[in-house]
Amino acid sequence: MKQISQVVLIITRKLFPFMLLYGCYLISHGHLSPGGGFQGGVIFGSAIILLGLVEGVALTEKRFRENLLSFIKNLGMVTFIVIGFGGILAGSYFLSDWLPKGAVGTVPSAGQMLLLNLTIGFMVGTGIAVVFYRMINYGSKE
Amino acid sequence: MNRILAIIILIILAFFIMQGLFTGKEHLIYGQPTPKISKLHVESGVAETGALNLVTAIYLNYRAYDTLGEAVVFFVAALGVFMLLRKDYREGTD
Repeated sequence: MKQISQVVLIITRKLFPFMLLYGCYLISHGHLSPGGGFQGGVIFGSAIILLGLVEGVALTEKRFRENLLSFIKNLGMVTFIVIGFGGILAGSYFLSDWLPKGAVGTVPSAGQMLLLNLTIGFMVGTGIAVVFYRMINYGSKE
Repeated sequence: MNRILAIIILIILAFFIMQGLFTGKEHLIYGQPTPKISKLHVESGVAETGALNLVTAIYLNYRAYDTLGEAVVFFVAALGVFMLLRKDYREGTD
């Protein structure tokens, strides 16, 4: 197997935490600026995919284990529905916004939207990473 | 017999569709859209939801069911890949 270029390796290592940070920023500021759960989640997942392509999947799977990522994906889906039932418990209809709202323009200004964005974002990011692991490990019996 | 039944059902459906088209005539001005709900969202979206980004306000507050459906679609797609592409797959064994 051909050795990967040193430039790509070092730039990816330096860039990786900032990509994760930018994904988290897009997820958490989805109700204030362009972006949101799906977009931020895709950036979050593509950071892991980039690390997997450059560093090798075996090393990446040690840091971001597939079981953990899959668990976060399932947890995100369940949490979305549980938050939806919170609207019924508060006396309104399913997925209605019942949390108090802060001043417009700040991060906790939109009540439930931040929580839903977080669940969607982490579900999409980890789900894309898990799909990448499965596709690249297909047929490689250990 | 089937053909006659189909024609009767079509006539009944056409009756209801035409009734829906022509009774609400005061809302349907030809050549102009009827932007009642979108106007409402644009005017009172920030005050009602507290989100500056109106796109997010719509897809996570007014149309949260739709987003739930999208999340379920993504989840099922990931589960399908998760189930089909196994690591210990060998050609011709299953």
